[in-house]
Amino acid sequence: MIREFTCIICPNGCEIQAEIVDGALTSVTGHTCPKGEAYVKQELADPRRNIATSVLVQGGELPLASVRLTNPIPKDRIFDAMAEIRKVSLQAPVVAGTVVVAGILGYDSDVIVTKAVAAKG
Amino acid sequence: MENLYDVLVIGGGMVGSAVARELSRYELRVGVLEKNLDVCYETSGRNSAVVHGGFAYDTGSLKARLCVEGNRMMGELAKELDFPFLRCGKVLVGNTDEDMETLKRTLKQGEENGAVGLEIIDEERLHELVPAVVGKFAMFSSQSGILDPFQYTIALAENACQNGVDYFFGSEVTAVRRDGEGNYHLSTPRGDFASRWVVNAAGLGCKTISDMLGIEGYKVIGSKGDYIILDKRTGPLLPMPVYPVPSNTYMGIHVTNTIDGNVTIGPNADMVSDFSYYGVPQENMDYLAESASRLWPHIHKADYIRNYSGILPKWVDSQGVIQDFKIEIRDDLAPRAVNLVGIESPGLTAAVPIARYAVGLMKEREELRENPGFNPCRKGIVRFEGLSSKEQAELIAKNPDYGEVVCRCEKVTRAELLQAIHNPLGVSTLVGIKYRTRSMMGRCQGGYCQMRLEQMIEEELGKKETEVLYAREGSQVLFGKVREEA
Amino acid sequence: MEKRDVVIIGGGPAGLAAAVQLHKKGVENILILEREHHLGGILRQCIHDGFGLSRFQTTLSGPEYAARFIEEAERCRIPYQTDTTVLEVSPDKVVTAVSRAGLVQYQAKAVILAMGCRERTRGALGIPGERPAGVFTAGVAQAYMNLYNRMPAKEVVILGSGDIGMIMARRLTLEGAHVQAVFELQPIPSGLPRNIEQCLNDYGIPLYLSHTVTQIHGDARLSGVTVSQVDGNLRPIPGTEKEYPCDTLILSVGLIPENELSIDAGVKLDGRTRGAIVDEHYQTSIKGVFAAGNVLHVHDLVDFVSMEAERLADSAARYVAGEALLDCPVEIGTDGNISHTIPQRVSGKKDFQLSLRVRRMIKDCRIVVRQAGQEIAVKKMKKALPAEMIQFVVRADKLVSGEKLEVSVE
Repeated sequence: MIREFTCIICPNGCEIQAEIVDGALTSVTGHTCPKGEAYVKQELADPRRNIATSVLVQGGELPLASVRLTNPIPKDRIFDAMAEIRKVSLQAPVVAGTVVVAGILGYDSDVIVTKAVAAKG
Repeated sequence: MENLYDVLVIGGGMVGSAVARELSRYELRVGVLEKNLDVCYETSGRNSAVVHGGFAYDTGSLKARLCVEGNRMMGELAKELDFPFLRCGKVLVGNTDEDMETLKRTLKQGEENGAVGLEIIDEERLHELVPAVVGKFAMFSSQSGILDPFQYTIALAENACQNGVDYFFGSEVTAVRRDGEGNYHLSTPRGDFASRWVVNAAGLGCKTISDMLGIEGYKVIGSKGDYIILDKRTGPLLPMPVYPVPSNTYMGIHVTNTIDGNVTIGPNADMVSDFSYYGVPQENMDYLAESASRLWPHIHKADYIRNYSGILPKWVDSQGVIQDFKIEIRDDLAPRAVNLVGIESPGLTAAVPIARYAVGLMKEREELRENPGFNPCRKGIVRFEGLSSKEQAELIAKNPDYGEVVCRCEKVTRAELLQAIHNPLGVSTLVGIKYRTRSMMGRCQGGYCQMRLEQMIEEELGKKETEVLYAREGSQVLFGKVREEA
Repeated sequence: MEKRDVVIIGGGPAGLAAAVQLHKKGVENILILEREHHLGGILRQCIHDGFGLSRFQTTLSGPEYAARFIEEAERCRIPYQTDTTVLEVSPDKVVTAVSRAGLVQYQAKAVILAMGCRERTRGALGIPGERPAGVFTAGVAQAYMNLYNRMPAKEVVILGSGDIGMIMARRLTLEGAHVQAVFELQPIPSGLPRNIEQCLNDYGIPLYLSHTVTQIHGDARLSGVTVSQVDGNLRPIPGTEKEYPCDTLILSVGLIPENELSIDAGVKLDGRTRGAIVDEHYQTSIKGVFAAGNVLHVHDLVDFVSMEAERLADSAARYVAGEALLDCPVEIGTDGNISHTIPQRVSGKKDFQLSLRVRRMIKDCRIVVRQAGQEIAVKKMKKALPAEMIQFVVRADKLVSGEKLEVSVE
C-alpha cells in the first residue's frame, strides 16, 4: 500500500510517498531532506501537532498573551490540551518564554508564552 | 394626557428630519419615530447624492418647483448645517440628433421650471469640463451639485434634535388609532406614542402608513437601483456627474463623483415589491460597468471598493404612470395628519422645501407660535483629512486625539470617532459611526480600523462586545470573548 | 525640520530588518515610524508557528519572530516612534507624520517604504448579495481573536484558500467555532500545501476548488451564502448553486501592497505586483526611496521579507554614505507563465537575487533567465506553485551584454 503525505515541517511541503507492506514501512520517496522521512515515520506511528492559542491576561495592556507548545503532542489530544490552556489566567506583566503549563497532559511539552504583555500603564 | 406630543413624525430620513427641523422652529413638542437604528439606512443614504437642477420634471409639478427651490437654497443650508456640498455642475451627454432634440426639450423644460445655468455645449467645451468623458455634445447644468447624503440627513436630524425634537430609533409604527378627541396613538415595538398631529414621512413605508391613517388606495412601487463605488484614485478623472440623455421616467446609468472624491456608477432601475432587500446581483454589476463605460471609459474592477443599492418609492396611477410627490392633509379622512406619498428623487434636493410645504399645510389649519430659541445652525465634526499641515498641527495642539489616526484610508482620527460615538442622536452602530466619520468607508473597508472602532464603542458607551451592532437590529458583530475571566 | 539619514515607514518585519541591518552598516541616524502602539506589524496577530525556518533555522510564532528583531533594534538603540502615522512622503523625501505629540516633518536622505499590504475585500471582489454583519477578511477575524480577545464567529464558511484563511480555519476550530468548508475560485489552492494539511485536513475541513460564493444572504447578521462551481473561465455554472447556512463568511482572497503613500510621492508602480518598480538596489523610480517586503510584492514567508529588507539596507546604507549606486538599465521581461519578477531592472554588473512567482502550477520545469538567447541562470523545480515565491541568485559574470533579460518557464 502506498500512502501519500504532505510534509508540514517546513514551507516546502514535500509530497512524500510511503510504501507500507504488512503494516511495515518499506520505503519513503519524494522528500527532499531527512526531516521528511522522520515526519512520515512519526505520522505513521504517532501523529503529533503543535498548537498556538492564547491565554487570558489580567491587568495587562493587552487582554491576551499568545502561547504555543514547546513540543508537539499527539494529534488526538489537541482539544484536551486546549481545555487545559483555557483554564490559565495570568497577571500582567507577562514575559515571553514563561511556562504557563508544564508538561501538558503529562507529555514532554510545556505551554509557553510567545508574546510579552506589559502591565496596564 | 402626559405624554402627548404635538407632532409625531413617522420616519427620520432626510424628509422626516427636515420636517422635524422645520417644526422645531415653532413651539411644539415634536417626536420622530424611526424604525431603523439611524436616520439614513434606507433611501436617504442609498442614492446618487446629486443635488438636481430641476430640469427633469414636468413643469408645474411639485417635483419641479420644490427641486428648483431646494437647489437654490442648498448652499445656504450647507453653511447653516455644516455638511459637505459642492456645486460642481453636471453634464447630460449625447451623441445623436435625437439626443440633441431631447436635450433641447429638457433645457426648455428646465427654464420653464425656473432652473438656471443650463446650456447646450459642444464637444470641445464638454471636454474642457470633463476631459475623460465620451460624447459629442451635452447639456451642462452649472447649478447641479453633489453632497454627502449621510452628513446631510444627520445634520438635519441633529439640528432638529438640538432644537428639542425627540428621536426614537427601532420604533417602527405598527398600528395607528385615533381617539375621540382626534388624537393619534401610534404603536411601536418600543411602546405607544400619542400626538395631536402626525406626519407620514415613512419613505418606502409611505403607503403602509397612509393606509393606517385611513387614506387608502395609493399604489407605490419600488424602483431599485444598484451602484458600484470606485477607489478615490479615480476621482480626479471626474470633476462632475456625467449622465446620459434621460428618458421620460428614468435618468439613466450615470457616473457620479462623490463629495469625498470617490466615483459611483449606477443606478439601474428594477421594479421591486420587496422594499427591504438590498442585495446587488452579479448581472447588474456587470451591466452597470458596461453601460457606464460607454460614457466614461475608466471603470476597472481593481478600483471597486464596494457596491450598494437603494430603493425609490414611486407613486403610480392605475396604469403604472409615475406621479408627482403627494403632500396632503385629508381633513375628511385623517384630520391633523400630513401625508407624504411617493417622495422619491428629487427628494434629496427638495427635502427642506418639501418640509416647508408640509408645515405650510399645517399652518393653514392651526396657528403655530415661533420658537424664540430656535437655532438654525449646527456644527458638524471637524475632519482632519483635507486640512493643511498647519491646520492639522493646530488641531492636534488643541486636542491630541486629532493626532491619533485610527482609519488609515480616510485618515479619521480618534477625536472624530469620539465625537461621532457621542453623537447627539445617540446612534451607536458601527455603520452609524462610519456614516459620521468615513472610517471603514475607504479602500480597505475597515480592515484596519474596524476592531479599533468596535473597541471604542464598547469603552465609550459601556457596552458588552455582544451588544455592539453593525447596522440593524440583530446585526451582532461579535459572539463573545475568546477567553473569559473565570 | 528634523534631518534623518533614513526614515523607515512601518515597523513590521520589513522595516525592522532594514533598520537593524542599516545599523550594522554604520547608519545610525535612523527613524522608524510605526502607526501602531507596538512594533512588529502583522506578526503580532500571527500567533501560529512556522516562522523563522529560513532566517533563524528554527520554528517560531509570529510574535517571537518579531521579538527577535525588536530586541535587536532595542539593543542597537535604533530610534523609533510608535503611535505615529505618516501622512505624506514628498518626492524630495520630506516625511510628514502625526502623533498625539503633534505634526512633525522629517527631511530624509533616504526613505524606506515598508508599509506592508492590505487584504482584498468583499467590495473589491464584487461578491453579489446583501451586506450583513459577519463578513470579515481573515486578517480582521484574526485581529479580533488574537489581539482583542473577541470571538467573531460560530458557524463559518471561508472563501479563498490563502494561508491566512486556512490558518484562521484552524484557529476558529480550536476556539469552538464550526468551519464548514473552504471554497477556492481557482482550480488550485492559493496557500501552501502544508497549511492544507495541518489547518484543514487535520480538522476535517473540506476544501472545494473551482467554487465561489455567488450570493450573500441576511439583512442583519449573515444568515448564509450561496456557493457555485465555476467553469474554466472562473464563471459560476448555473444549476450548481448550493446554500450554506452560516453566520460568518471569512475572506482570504488576496493581499494588495499598501502603496497609497508611494503613489502620492510619485513612485512608479508595477501593475502586476501593485508595488513599486525597483532595481537591484530595491530603489524605486525616485532616487533614495527604497521598498521591500509586502509593500513591494506579496511574499509567502516572512523570512523572505526580512531577508529582502536586509538586502535593501545594504544598498540604502551605501546610498546614504554618498556612494553612487550602479545604474540599472537592464530590464527583466517575463513569459506568460510568470506573473512578475523583483527586481524589474538590474545593472548587469552585480549578482542579484531574483524573486518571482509563476501564474499556474507547473510540474518538472526549469525557470530560465536568458539574455540574447543565452541561458544565464536556471532553477529546476519539481513543482512550481503560484503560492510560493521562487528565488535564486543570478550571477553577473554570466551576463553577456546590456540587453534585456528574459525569464521563462520551460
